[in-house]
Amino acid sequence: MTIIEPRKHGSAADGRVGGRLSRFEGELKITGNATYALEYPVENVAHAVLVQSTIAAGRVVSVDASKALAAPGVLLVLTPEDDLGLMTAADWFGNRPENQPFHPLPKVVRYNGESIVAVIAESREQAGEAAKLIRITYEEAPAVADMDDPKASEGKLLDAMTVEWGDAEKALAASPVRIEAEYRTPREYHVAMEPHGLTAGWDGEQLTVWEPSQWTHGMARNYAEWFGIPLDNVRIVSPFIGGGFGSKGVALPYGAVAVAAAKKLGRPVRLAVTRPQNFTSYGGRAATRQTISLGASKDGVLLAIVHRGASETSVYMDYPEQTGAATPILYKVENFSSQSRVVPVNAVTPGALRGPGKNPSAYGIESAIEELAYKLAMDPLELRLKNYADHDYQSGKPWSTRRLREALTEGAEAFGWARRSHEPRSMRDGKSLIGWGIGCGTFPVIRAPSSAMIRVLKNGRVEVVSGAIDMGQGTYTILAQTAAEALGVSIEQVDVVLGDSRLPGSAIAGGSMLAGSITGAVHKTANAAREEIIGLALNDPNSPFRDTGANTLVVSEGRISVASGDGPSMTLPELLSVLGRDELEVTRNTLPDDAQSASDRMNAWTSMGRVQGPTMGDTSMHSWCAHFVEVRVDEDFGTVRVSRMVSAFDCGRLYNPKMVESQWRGGIIMGIGQALLEEGLVDPRNARTINNNVGDYLVPTNSDIPDIQVISVGVPDYEASALGGKGVGEVGIVGVAPAIANAVFHATGKRVRDLPITLEKLM
Amino acid sequence: MPRTIHLTLDINGKAHPLDVEPRVTLLDALREHLDLTGTKKGCDQGQCGACTCHVDGERVLSCLTLAAQVEGRQVTTIEGIAGDDGTLHAVQKAFLEHDAFQCGYCTPGQIMSAVACIREGHAGSDAEIREYMSGNLCRCGAYNSIVAAVRDAATTIAAGQKAEAA
Amino acid sequence: MRDFSYTRATTIEDARQAALQAGSAILAGGTTLLDLAKCGVNEPDELIDISHIRGLDGISVGESEASIGALAKMSAVADHPLILKVYPAVAQSLSLAASQQLRNMATIGGNLLQRTRCPYFRDPATFSACNKREPGSGCSALGGVTRNHAVLGTSESCIATYPGDLAVALVAFDAVVDLGSRSVPVEEFFLEPGDRPERETVIAPGEVIIGISIPASAAARNSTYLKVRDRQSYEFAAASVAVGLELEADGRIVKDVRIALGGVATKPWRARAVEQALVGKALTEEVILSAARLSMEGAVAHGGNHYKIELAPRVVARALRTLGGLA
Repeated sequence: MTIIEPRKHGSAADGRVGGRLSRFEGELKITGNATYALEYPVENVAHAVLVQSTIAAGRVVSVDASKALAAPGVLLVLTPEDDLGLMTAADWFGNRPENQPFHPLPKVVRYNGESIVAVIAESREQAGEAAKLIRITYEEAPAVADMDDPKASEGKLLDAMTVEWGDAEKALAASPVRIEAEYRTPREYHVAMEPHGLTAGWDGEQLTVWEPSQWTHGMARNYAEWFGIPLDNVRIVSPFIGGGFGSKGVALPYGAVAVAAAKKLGRPVRLAVTRPQNFTSYGGRAATRQTISLGASKDGVLLAIVHRGASETSVYMDYPEQTGAATPILYKVENFSSQSRVVPVNAVTPGALRGPGKNPSAYGIESAIEELAYKLAMDPLELRLKNYADHDYQSGKPWSTRRLREALTEGAEAFGWARRSHEPRSMRDGKSLIGWGIGCGTFPVIRAPSSAMIRVLKNGRVEVVSGAIDMGQGTYTILAQTAAEALGVSIEQVDVVLGDSRLPGSAIAGGSMLAGSITGAVHKTANAAREEIIGLALNDPNSPFRDTGANTLVVSEGRISVASGDGPSMTLPELLSVLGRDELEVTRNTLPDDAQSASDRMNAWTSMGRVQGPTMGDTSMHSWCAHFVEVRVDEDFGTVRVSRMVSAFDCGRLYNPKMVESQWRGGIIMGIGQALLEEGLVDPRNARTINNNVGDYLVPTNSDIPDIQVISVGVPDYEASALGGKGVGEVGIVGVAPAIANAVFHATGKRVRDLPITLEKLM
Repeated sequence: MPRTIHLTLDINGKAHPLDVEPRVTLLDALREHLDLTGTKKGCDQGQCGACTCHVDGERVLSCLTLAAQVEGRQVTTIEGIAGDDGTLHAVQKAFLEHDAFQCGYCTPGQIMSAVACIREGHAGSDAEIREYMSGNLCRCGAYNSIVAAVRDAATTIAAGQKAEAA
Repeated sequence: MRDFSYTRATTIEDARQAALQAGSAILAGGTTLLDLAKCGVNEPDELIDISHIRGLDGISVGESEASIGALAKMSAVADHPLILKVYPAVAQSLSLAASQQLRNMATIGGNLLQRTRCPYFRDPATFSACNKREPGSGCSALGGVTRNHAVLGTSESCIATYPGDLAVALVAFDAVVDLGSRSVPVEEFFLEPGDRPERETVIAPGEVIIGISIPASAAARNSTYLKVRDRQSYEFAAASVAVGLELEADGRIVKDVRIALGGVATKPWRARAVEQALVGKALTEEVILSAARLSMEGAVAHGGNHYKIELAPRVVARALRTLGGLA
């Protein structure tokens, strides 16, 4: 027989904050026992399939569902003619229009791929085949396919996003060295491996929705308001999420359709959004274009930045992809001007995709800074260090912590940047042109109040409970570590229960705000639980500690004892037993003391109303990174492969370096895809995304990715979070695409200013 | 009228009777009819690898395989590779140790692919592992760790086989 | 997928008889058939599963030719030691195609019947015009997004690219398809779209691919398959080439050369003009470059695919340099 030696899993310190504990819920995932939304065994479930529009704009004149209704197994067809009786829900900030009906299957078509009809049948196969029998008659209207469509406007200027200081135009005109260029990014998609979908079931007025969710409480509110039922009547169940990347933070129209169908049928309904439908059932990252002008002195002092950006939005909502988001804070500059526009097109409203705003913004400014470096004949690393921002010139505030200089220098050291030869096309290996490039990235520290519950049970287990979610960032793991350390128990005793809107509310898993927020809440709760245990032990008449005369006790490795080591010592279950208690339950939140009412809490968990931005305190707080990339470009074919990469990060303290490194690499890899492969292709005639599948919308494969060295240069930042960490998930992607574009320029002498850098652009 | 057929599928060494329409794929049979949801549906069109399982020991995509096609063959899914006593397969252990996954959704497919990749003899170098694991997309971007896990597991398995032979 | 019945054929004769029925389709690996059934492109009433027929998956490599049964899996052929040695371009064309999972499923016979990846062909719900699907309905690709469409062998009816790799290598080495009652050179097996793009091969109702044979040749033995694509793996070719080269005893002059292109044409494309320009000449950089350019004779770009006309000759040249020792 085969005997496999048990592996060592590091030291006991792995179980504490900062330890390299392996993924806490990992065994469930590697055995196939982690249950994702569509996998719950729900009795008597019916299956819904969406029918989406095949025109870009117009009106549904009629829907002929007769053949579908006659098809085997079909139970129900929902069309725009069906008034589902829904009302528009509040937006992310809690603002809700009054008495505005919501039609998830609209009569007016606003983009190609909009859901128009749903067919519900006994089986998914039957629903899918019947869906093909639906005949929709449209009255077409003129459409704007994308921002390059001649019919597209120059866009609406968003005043709130204008940023100005100094006199940028004047300083630019007076600058001895200037560059100006336009940078463009295409539509990009989340492509989480788990497609969207849900199972919904009603029990009287109680609604349960099994749906992947980056924010269980926020989505519960969406459903409650759509269907006009109390928030407490809605339960979102989402303990495992097969990737979100920004796409699973809000309930979407198809969700309303499935829930309405379940209500009409009086039985649970499962709706699986097909992979092609995932490209239009919610928005990816908007296409962007931005013009950047830089002015500098001859010795490389940045004198002015002028940025003019635009991004696509839909015809029914203004959603900006902020190409000016990173521009103001990466460098020291006394004169700055940024304006942003949104260009309405017939597409689904774009959404947040990893590193929203900062990502395309960094592509612009970090490409431009290297263009300036070449114009100045200056090393791009030197230019970056020379213009290092000593404080935040936009807010005028000092940084909380900013170790970007260390990221640049330590990253350069690990990469071997000093060995670089500056001239383009000066490094090669046979037919491969070799290029090196740098791209810096940043993402703000965003914080939100959160709550958690800790239960110490008689059976020796400690439960950490929160409605926060884990879609792979490591929430289960770091909360187990946080609770074990703060409470003084071993990690093996801890269970973590997440992903359910019935549990204590938390920040959304988005904008890199969850880890810092929820560890703060769990830390606070665990400390409170420990104090409560100690208080009971010291004061309860049945406690053996009462007579020790100690004024405090210690809890360590699950045992409570007197600090001096003398006197009684017992496990927590033993203590509970002598106290005559079954369990001890403590709930805390991180809302201010004057905002603890029921409505304060409800709003905090279900809206962005109490989210704090990076400069709301006395300092400016951000994560930072510097990417160093080597590319090999085939001289004949124009194919680009990333052959080596070093990325150095300042994300403050790392709660679990193993999880963090995985997240950083994940962001970087998505950035490699963005730089080289990913692009939604829109047919200009009908605004259809024609590569709406993962065979044609290319994301990186294992072969596309080299070994990526990641380095942490951060120091704990206790202004940013209770435990000293800054955001980790978003920042990894920011700056990757420009680093690659810069390396491609260094390799080939060709500056590609529109992503992705596909082979025909280099031939 | 739906044409239901009766099948008996050999899955993870156990006979599973099943009445399904002929058009039901192996993937849907596993997930919707047999409560074996470890095998994942990522694209349902043969492009992502999340539904990888083994048929007669070879890795295949269950989304492009009809349940009816595999009657009489041995199907192995992620639920069937650990030992009867729950001892994890060397590849599973290596995935946990190297953090070769994040969200976990592509993971069963990655693991089934990796087990086969090693068995095929396609885990000889990092470059070979990368190429032969490229049919399994991972959007969380765990590729570095997947390569490390496959390399590590291949070594463990080879050592085990050597010990067994000795 | 539309509902269908499922029948297992136990002999090839069963399969032929069943395949004569209107609405029936042969199922082998299923990687194309079921994919297209899900897209709504194929709507068979009856599937005849031939994958359980015994004795059709053999691979034998003899002195004069290799024979491969129709049900041999792509992966089995790709990893076959003698195929690797005697027909390296064939083995490489297979191992560079799809993923190992798909190669474990897809059969050699089925691979020859793989259909185009044209997104307009694959989306009947949105694009009703497709001459391949619905003769006479028009071509939605013309005027659409055409980056991956063909530049060779196109017509006003269809510009869809032949997606496969294996057949490109087979065409280069004069392989023959065994249809039972007749044998057809692979090059003739595939049809250019002309005004009948719905006809992709010469296979007739009731005909089933039994296997293929590939004549041995010095060129096949010294061959390579080079595939260029945006992604490193698991993608169709932007341009690919199968090249086989035999030099005279002097090691300089080209005695025999075989060249076929993939990813750029409506069918696996033998580049005879290039071959003719090379035979009898010493393989120099100049000779290679001028010959390679001939591979795009008659090429027509449709917007976004113009780069293929530049790319393909470079791919041909690279493969020739590699085989000729000039790299």
